[in-house]
Amino acid sequence: MKQIRVLIGKAGLDGHDRGALVIAQALRDHGMEVIYTGLRQSPEEIAQAAVQEDVDVVGLSSLSGSHRSLFPRVVEALRARDAADIPVIGGGVIPAEDIPYLEGKGITKIFTSGASTEALASYIKRLVGSASVSPKKIAHIGIAVRAINKSLPFYQDVLGLEVEKVEMVDSEQVKVAFLRIGETRLELLEPLNEQSTIHRFLDKKGEGVHHLAFEVDDLEERLSEYRRQGIRLLNETPVAGADNSQIAFLHPGDASQVLIELCQHQETEGDK
Amino acid sequence: MGKEQEFSANKQEWEKTVKKTIQRYPERQEVFETSSGIPIHRLYTPKHPQEEYQETLGFPGQYPYTRGIQPTMYRSRYWTMRQYAGFGSAQETNHRFRYLLEQGQTGLSVAFDLPTQIGYDSDDSMADGEVGKVGVAIDSLHDMETLFDSIPLDKVSTSMTINAPASVLLCMYIAVGEKQGVDPAQLTGTIQNDILKEYIARGTYIFPPKPSMRLITNIFAYCQEELPRFNTISISGYHIREAGSTAVQEIAFTLANGIAYVEAALASGLDIDQFAPRLAFFFNAHNQFFEEAAKFRAARRIWSKIMKERYHAKEPTSWKLRFHTQTGGSTLTAQQANNNIVRVALQALSAVLGGTQSLHTNSRDEALSLPTEESARIALRTQQIIANESGAADTIDPLGGSYYVESLTDEIESRAWEYIEKIDKLGGAVQAVEAGYMQREIRQAAYETQKKIESGEKTVVGLNQFVEEEEQKPDLLKVDEELEASQKQAVQQVRTERDPMEADRCLKKLAAAAADPGINLMPYILQAVKAYCTVGEICNTLRKEFGEYNGI
Repeated sequence: MKQIRVLIGKAGLDGHDRGALVIAQALRDHGMEVIYTGLRQSPEEIAQAAVQEDVDVVGLSSLSGSHRSLFPRVVEALRARDAADIPVIGGGVIPAEDIPYLEGKGITKIFTSGASTEALASYIKRLVGSASVSPKKIAHIGIAVRAINKSLPFYQDVLGLEVEKVEMVDSEQVKVAFLRIGETRLELLEPLNEQSTIHRFLDKKGEGVHHLAFEVDDLEERLSEYRRQGIRLLNETPVAGADNSQIAFLHPGDASQVLIELCQHQETEGDK
Repeated sequence: MGKEQEFSANKQEWEKTVKKTIQRYPERQEVFETSSGIPIHRLYTPKHPQEEYQETLGFPGQYPYTRGIQPTMYRSRYWTMRQYAGFGSAQETNHRFRYLLEQGQTGLSVAFDLPTQIGYDSDDSMADGEVGKVGVAIDSLHDMETLFDSIPLDKVSTSMTINAPASVLLCMYIAVGEKQGVDPAQLTGTIQNDILKEYIARGTYIFPPKPSMRLITNIFAYCQEELPRFNTISISGYHIREAGSTAVQEIAFTLANGIAYVEAALASGLDIDQFAPRLAFFFNAHNQFFEEAAKFRAARRIWSKIMKERYHAKEPTSWKLRFHTQTGGSTLTAQQANNNIVRVALQALSAVLGGTQSLHTNSRDEALSLPTEESARIALRTQQIIANESGAADTIDPLGGSYYVESLTDEIESRAWEYIEKIDKLGGAVQAVEAGYMQREIRQAAYETQKKIESGEKTVVGLNQFVEEEEQKPDLLKVDEELEASQKQAVQQVRTERDPMEADRCLKKLAAAAADPGINLMPYILQAVKAYCTVGEICNTLRKEFGEYNGI
């Protein structure tokens, strides 16, 4: 996944750049590369910089009431440079009734005052297609077993699945075996000792399906979004999982008593 | 002399000044009392004065002025209720001014549009889309005459929020006064004229710091001779706070800027006691009620020490920090806009309890657009309710002696001193600004605040708590989009109707004077203004000579 590049521009003469600066910093904290063009840029200068810097999105900020004339001019200037594919979003002191007008002029979205930087960052990620709102696929189905060696013959010999790898996961105190099935996998989990949560699971429920693991982009982002929505997280921050991944569990109480793991594999994390 | 004796000696001295003050400004009422008939004294003091009472608090109108700069404060006269207004054309703004004066407002405060503030005429390509938006468009003396039509300049005090081209707008004000037959010496008011905070926080600069500082000291020197009643600068923390600083940073950076102006004026040969009494300050009032009130008290104490101990000013009038307050625009929410009326009332009360000399209360709809007439009236009424109904103005410094407020005042003072000393070490405010020091500190504070709001650690009612899904949208003021075209035409007409030879001659003389750093530019600018040279022409002449600042 390539790093998102954003240009933050202050068109016109307005010198209030607190919003622009705060947003620039917040987007950087979300792993984006942010170019802030500084004060008093003409729409042409902003479009020029956007093209030269090859940005994925242009963000404009205005508090002076000049958004109606200046924002559309940035869109026009981008078109004139064959760069109409760069979306332009705007924010600032913008009355609600101006929003349809601006959207009609080609501004992709307007964030009014009070919008959170979190919402803005996830919007940009969705906008440039680097984050999917929903998990991409089932990464694996976790099955708790007492001993991998005893369970393997059914999956391996009877079903004919191929063992991809076997490894120890220290954070969960388990030994795991991955078996590929189509684009997903089965994960057999064997407790290494009595402290393992898998051991407790086996004691309580016996062998069986333990969790579903969903592959996501930007695990931290997903976690903070779910946290905002009041979803209970068993891991507040990602921990190291099997197969070179970062994982976090959600509380089964919010998912019809299914334990859900979110995981993000290193190779998809990009050059962040 | 023991502490008790010293205390009663100082008290007696204060009472003497009270008598004198009352002769000039009688108190508003013969008797002040509460609704229950409890008499309200002019001032409340400790029964057993502590060692440091005189050193840290003193009496109102006495060094170090923690309790206020006048001996009777609002018992004699309320603060000036000064609502910042201006939008569209000079004619429209003139109507709003006359309306506000009829409503009982006691001072005018002019908001200029961005092209005027950055020295561009309305027909300059840089002005596209901005004409008349955040304030009134003033291109030439012609517009200024319209702005003050039927408003006698010897009767009102006018504050002008103008910085980089302050000299030009002040000259226009002088010229309008002359046309009305008002001697410049009678003019009262304030020009903001604080360029350092433009580099730090507000962004409406034109020239680099050095020539900007020259223009400012030129104004000091000129006004000392010609406009002795005019406040020649309003050193502004307002915008520093709006850019995201904390309360401590607001006063620390503002007072550090104040020090830089004093240094520049001294370096240009002015005498401290000549110009110091004409320095004014401009602060913000945010929501955290007690911290805000304490901040104002701390600022007065710090400044009086700076003036007396660092610059050895001899006149008590040089030691007094006089300030205007505006409630905090950035604290207002676009959501549930009527809640802003309550925020503004709290903020305004903190400024009154902090001893402000004048006050602007923001309108509820400012997070959405320029205020409507109705919103502006509610904002003014808010001040009038505090003044006339709350009793907050009936005794001096009502929070004085509160364990909490005194402790906050001390703490704010000591933290502000740390910043001031840090800036001194960096070589002063001009150097600190050039190095981006204050900008970075403010940006960091702004970002921290945003994160706290988003995490819910800091509650903003209607925004991250107590949210309403379906809100009624308030009526908003619309600036006529046609205005830009007519203002462009008007300035072009001025250029064709004036004496072109005279205008040209004035600009050439101004250019020559600008090239010599020893010359005071004010008389040259005044001549150019009277010849109907425009704001853009005058500023472009200076741009050629001084260069432009491009940020850092």
